[in-house]
Amino acid sequence: MIDGVVVVTGVGGYWGSRVASRLATETDLHVIGLDAQPPRMEIQGLDYIQADVRNPLLSKLLAAENVDTVCHLAFLDTLRPSETAFDLNVLGTAHLLGACAEAKVRKVVLKSSTAVYGARPINSAFLTEDAPFRGSQRMGYIRDMVEIESFCRGFRREAPDLILTILRFAHIVGPTADTPMNSYLRQPWSPSLLGFDPMMQLIHESDVVAALVHAVYFDAPGLFNVGAEDPMPLNKVRGLADKPPIAVFHPLLYWSMDLLGRRAFRGSHYPPIDADYVRYPCVGDLTRMRRDLDFRPHYTAEDALRELAEHKRLAGQMPESTILAQSAERLEDIIEQRERAREHRVRSGLRAGEGEEDGR
Amino acid sequence: MGVEETRVRCQAFTRAGAQCKNLAQPESEYCHLHQPRAQGDEHGGSDEELRQELLDELAELTERVQDATPAYQPPPFSRQRLRELVEELVHRFPGEMGTGAREQFRDLLNADLPDKEALKGFWYVLNYTAQYQADVAKRHVAGEYDTDEWGLDWEFVEAVRPFLSFLYKAYWRVETVGLDKIPVEGRALLVANHSGQLPWDGTMITTAVLTDHPAQRLVRCLYADWIPRLPFFSSWLVRLGQTLETEDNGTRLLEQGHLVAVFPEGDKGIGKLYKDRYQLARFGDGGFVRMALTTQSSIIPVSVVGAEETYIALARSRTLATVTGLPYVPITPRFPWLGLLGLVPLPSKWYIDVGEPIALDRFGSDAAHNLVLVAQLTDHVRNAVQDMVHERLAQRRSVFF
Repeated sequence: MIDGVVVVTGVGGYWGSRVASRLATETDLHVIGLDAQPPRMEIQGLDYIQADVRNPLLSKLLAAENVDTVCHLAFLDTLRPSETAFDLNVLGTAHLLGACAEAKVRKVVLKSSTAVYGARPINSAFLTEDAPFRGSQRMGYIRDMVEIESFCRGFRREAPDLILTILRFAHIVGPTADTPMNSYLRQPWSPSLLGFDPMMQLIHESDVVAALVHAVYFDAPGLFNVGAEDPMPLNKVRGLADKPPIAVFHPLLYWSMDLLGRRAFRGSHYPPIDADYVRYPCVGDLTRMRRDLDFRPHYTAEDALRELAEHKRLAGQMPESTILAQSAERLEDIIEQRERAREHRVRSGLRAGEGEEDGR
Repeated sequence: MGVEETRVRCQAFTRAGAQCKNLAQPESEYCHLHQPRAQGDEHGGSDEELRQELLDELAELTERVQDATPAYQPPPFSRQRLRELVEELVHRFPGEMGTGAREQFRDLLNADLPDKEALKGFWYVLNYTAQYQADVAKRHVAGEYDTDEWGLDWEFVEAVRPFLSFLYKAYWRVETVGLDKIPVEGRALLVANHSGQLPWDGTMITTAVLTDHPAQRLVRCLYADWIPRLPFFSSWLVRLGQTLETEDNGTRLLEQGHLVAVFPEGDKGIGKLYKDRYQLARFGDGGFVRMALTTQSSIIPVSVVGAEETYIALARSRTLATVTGLPYVPITPRFPWLGLLGLVPLPSKWYIDVGEPIALDRFGSDAAHNLVLVAQLTDHVRNAVQDMVHERLAQRRSVFF
């Protein structure tokens, strides 16, 4: 448990704004949001500073604000490898970590992905956190993440006093987030591979936010795979998400990825999930998540997929905002969350008022 | 019965010949239903007692179906249609079980048990069973099925079971000796010799334990790392509960109390030429011993005799292996000349012998780091398997009979 100043980077993005709003409403922490763009919705209690993570004076800011913890979520996820994204993701993270070490920040929390292990035929059914990085080089978001993780491995030795928590999330699904798995399951034509049915590990978007908040609030140094506890075959995932059973001969998908990855096809469609990841398993072992991080996802993968499927079915009938507004489950989550936040405030006696912000 | 297997589905048959797996829900346990039967077999209860037991069991089954799906309504009852339904369902049971069930049911229907209520109970349960099986395919497309965390799908196991039991009983006429040495529950590591170009030996060890072992446990074989690259084959094996040969996988399975089978000879064993048959290849670096030592499981040596004669490998083709990316491609009198027909194995006569378990609990769990001990145990197990193979070969009179 911590108290002090928390910096959340990337509050202009989806993950940054959700994590920052939960931290700001549910804890006593002073939350500073850092991003080039301001958050799309106003977050009550958030202290927004317009600054990029690559800003040369970042360490001065961190030192001046006496920052205790940094939660780094300023990533640009691109499907094709992109130099702009690489610059923000890898160089930005390296710069931020350097600044944190210089400003004597106590803890850094990073969001990563189990995709860094790579889906390989020789993978064990459950990959522990010390598995080597063999992530795909064809996907921008995986390539950058592998670079970041490799950098962190060296950084850990250079700054042994800094608590570095890296959460590697399984494929993220849910009704609102824009993630590769979500696009894969939403696009009607995205195929599976003929004769391959690997085990998949998923996690609900709300559990991603919950895990990040958990890692900011409680100290758990090290690497953690985070995913729902029911891995399932890809065909079951597709069935539950209402996808038609389309399968292609596997060389076809590799071939088309090579072709579409070329410069001439920039701007055209590119598969959101690398062919290897629908061919071979890439499932994290969750022992450390349960034991050392002491975190349990709220949603099972099956529930998450059913929610996504409901959302997909309704999307044909009414606009997106109506679906979100009518979802009873979502409102229930919000009510619960606000209830928790209110209780917390009353208990700590710091703030007694009720917020206008919706907590999500 | 193994806890993890029965969690998904009970493998035993009820007295009516119906398999309670058809009604199993993931969160309920059916096994206690069959415990009374096991005891009954021991003290040989009278007919009257058995009938009463059967009626109780039936009532309970009906209740469970009603609990699970309160809305289910079977079609109207008649004796004739009940008989037809039984005939139809009985075909789905493997071999003797089907015949047994049919006989039992015929006795039951012919005046032996004129109790109309009991028959109506049968009608209800059987109809539910038939309907449940009919929409297996439909449910699979919609993703409405359960697997364990390794990908084991019991409905798939049931679907291929008739084929496996044909190979086991009719094609290779496998004689299995010493299955009682495999524990009824809890972890154990089976270590067997590998032979026969295609992993039929693992398939038959699994089938043997699944059909003839009292607890009908599912053996988790660890397969070689070139198999995941093959389409269809890899996903079938995963659905049958088999998994890749890594130390992490084996250790985790054993920790969970599964029955694991390994073939430490690996590709060197399965791809060996006909002239080298029954000469065990080198046993790798002893990864299987480390798995057993870490989890304190006993090692049970198993020998398979007969699999070497399923394909007569005269030579290995390096060119074909490079082209296909496979670790070895055998040249046999029929393959690759006859194409896929050359893949049909020869119907040799097989023997599977299960040896005395080698207990490892006298070593501490950190003994896995003792390289000398691991090497010694590896040799010990290898010799045990080789001795069993030789013993069986000395007794064998013919390859085919």
